[in-house]
Amino acid sequence: MSDELHWLGAAEATRAFAARKLSPVELVKGLHARIDTLDPQLNVFIRRDDEAALAAARAAEAEIAAGRIRGPLHGVPVGIKDIIDVAGLPTTCHSRVMPGSNATADAACVARLRQAGAIVMGKLSTHEFAIGGPSHDLPFPPARNPWNRDHHPGGSSSGSGSGLAAGFFPLALGTDTGGSIRNPASACGIVGLKPTYGLVSRRGVFPLAFSLDHVGPMTRSVADNALLLDCLAGHDPADAGSAVAPRAYYAAGLERGVRGLRIGFVRHFHENDLIADPEVAATLDTVAKTFAAEGAEIREVRLPTLGEFAAVNRIILTSEAWSIHAPWLRSRPGDYGKLGRQRLMAGAFLQAGDLVAAQRRRAAMIAEVQTVLRDVDVLLCASSMDPASRIDDEAATARTYPRQARTPFNVTGHPALAMLAGVSSGGLPLSVQFAGRYFDEAMVLRVARAWERAAGTDKRHPPLG
Amino acid sequence: MEALARLAGLDRALAEHREDVIAAFSQASAHRGVMHAPEDPAAEPWPPMQAGTNL
Repeated sequence: MSDELHWLGAAEATRAFAARKLSPVELVKGLHARIDTLDPQLNVFIRRDDEAALAAARAAEAEIAAGRIRGPLHGVPVGIKDIIDVAGLPTTCHSRVMPGSNATADAACVARLRQAGAIVMGKLSTHEFAIGGPSHDLPFPPARNPWNRDHHPGGSSSGSGSGLAAGFFPLALGTDTGGSIRNPASACGIVGLKPTYGLVSRRGVFPLAFSLDHVGPMTRSVADNALLLDCLAGHDPADAGSAVAPRAYYAAGLERGVRGLRIGFVRHFHENDLIADPEVAATLDTVAKTFAAEGAEIREVRLPTLGEFAAVNRIILTSEAWSIHAPWLRSRPGDYGKLGRQRLMAGAFLQAGDLVAAQRRRAAMIAEVQTVLRDVDVLLCASSMDPASRIDDEAATARTYPRQARTPFNVTGHPALAMLAGVSSGGLPLSVQFAGRYFDEAMVLRVARAWERAAGTDKRHPPLG
Repeated sequence: MEALARLAGLDRALAEHREDVIAAFSQASAHRGVMHAPEDPAAEPWPPMQAGTNL
């Protein structure tokens, strides 16, 4: 067991509970103390729910002592991005546009976590409506990066990424429409998985763009990510986009390594479409060489360009988002922050033909990626092209935020995971991304685990004390 | 730009946040300019059309 409670993983915690070496109450109290100390500088939480978390921890402690284990996450704390409904708490979407009324029911993903025994710690910072940020003109301050508080933590699931890296909880939920799970995973050096479109229910999650939205697990280790996905995945007839997929146990094959796998390296993303920071490029080469040394075959592959993926993503995203936000943008534009207002209003200037053209191009892009994935088992590529910029440097943030390779897998719906690949000379996380075939999250997680084991990325934490 | 914004009902935004309306217009134009229109006139959109038995 880790000497420090705040770095305990979910699997480690449940083993400690079962062995009576730790109780859920001790863990939750320990995390509350850490949050008390560090969150005033990190702004991870929009709303803490300390009393409910402690009550749930006491109940879990009694049930575990009596041998009544509710599920694989019994007694494990989890943070929830604040566009996801938690019964009895308001869903603010980090915006003054939203009414302050409490959600009457848990989102499907939260209900699944409670069924597995998890303890909800509170609601976490995001970009306004998962698109407008990082911003300083919203009702709550933006989350900051635990590796260096002067830098942004990525977004839009910014509180989820920052809180995991800071040791506030071992599990968190994020959402990803254009990269919003994988951006904070990259900036904060944790593990963020956007599952296959439709694998995790979106019921009870405030929509950004219906055909691009995904809910997914964010954790500090690959094993915990698989464990969390095991609890989240499954068909929901109340979500129109929910898939009927075969049941998988994502943690089962994690340690199988990469020997014999064919890994497609998408070099043109970071060497031609965008020119990555040299430290990012060198780190990606290290990942590829490590896998080759472990017996994988590395093949260079080509996909459509990042520029076109981004354009298709943005045309669909802003068109769908406009249909949601138009009434508010017309009547109370001043209640939005500047970035959210600008990005959401873009949909007003696209025509019906633009949206249909983007959806037609999307179908062709999906076919192109499917063709490549017939010949390789998994794709290796960049996630962010740069380490996180300073949060107060609006120009640098505006320049570097779009320099990413995450939108392709929102457009196509393939599963994609971003994680720590190294640390820059400036002390900030560098990242790598793996993407796989539809519903083959097990393969993506297996390759991620091989990298984690080789590089020891799950043992690297920010120097917070 | 102004006519399109008024057509979309963004009169208040034009009056109070004109620079943001201009930025939104520029973003939309930029996205449209990068995407390749499908060359095949029969190329269908995603998600696939799947007529069932209960139309």
